[in-house]
Amino acid sequence: SPYGSLLSSLLFSLLLVFSRNSFIASKPDPSKPNMLRVGLAFGSTAVLWALLFKQHRTDVHEYKTRNGLE
Amino acid sequence: MGLLPDEAKVLPPPGIVNRNSVWFGLCGWATAMLHNSLNRRPALKAGLHRQALFITVGWFIGYHLTKFENYKYATLDRDMSEYIRLHPEEFPDKGNSTWKSSRIRVLISVLRFSLY
Repeated sequence: SPYGSLLSSLLFSLLLVFSRNSFIASKPDPSKPNMLRVGLAFGSTAVLWALLFKQHRTDVHEYKTRNGLE
Repeated sequence: MGLLPDEAKVLPPPGIVNRNSVWFGLCGWATAMLHNSLNRRPALKAGLHRQALFITVGWFIGYHLTKFENYKYATLDRDMSEYIRLHPEEFPDKGNSTWKSSRIRVLISVLRFSLY
């Protein structure tokens, strides 16, 4: 089937990530960071700060409007 | 707003730096450092992306928690003021407070404490 090889490669990569089989396992190497994970972590950090500042801005504006301060 | 009704927007919003944000941010940082230590990495110098993310998640949760807390205290204060307004005989201007009014005040302060 055309999706057979895709499925088997997906299963193999899952097996690599989630197994401790000593034939294919390796210790995590700090000198070779997983840049995708690092990028995602910093990216979601930036997104969360942006969301926080936006929410705060909205809250301050709502408060001022409802109390007739501006 | 998920947890708060519309009337909560009348209250002044907490600052970006607020008590719960600082505390949860510090807890997030401690978690990241503990994660480093348990994986035999230098606690402060390793996994900076993880430290930043955990601090940020804690800070974010803390901000919304402070908003929720402020709203809960405001509703309790409003109910207490309303009760005092409707039962002025129990809160005389001079002299000792009545047993009933001091009981009400204790009950409300216990309710406030039970929020923790």
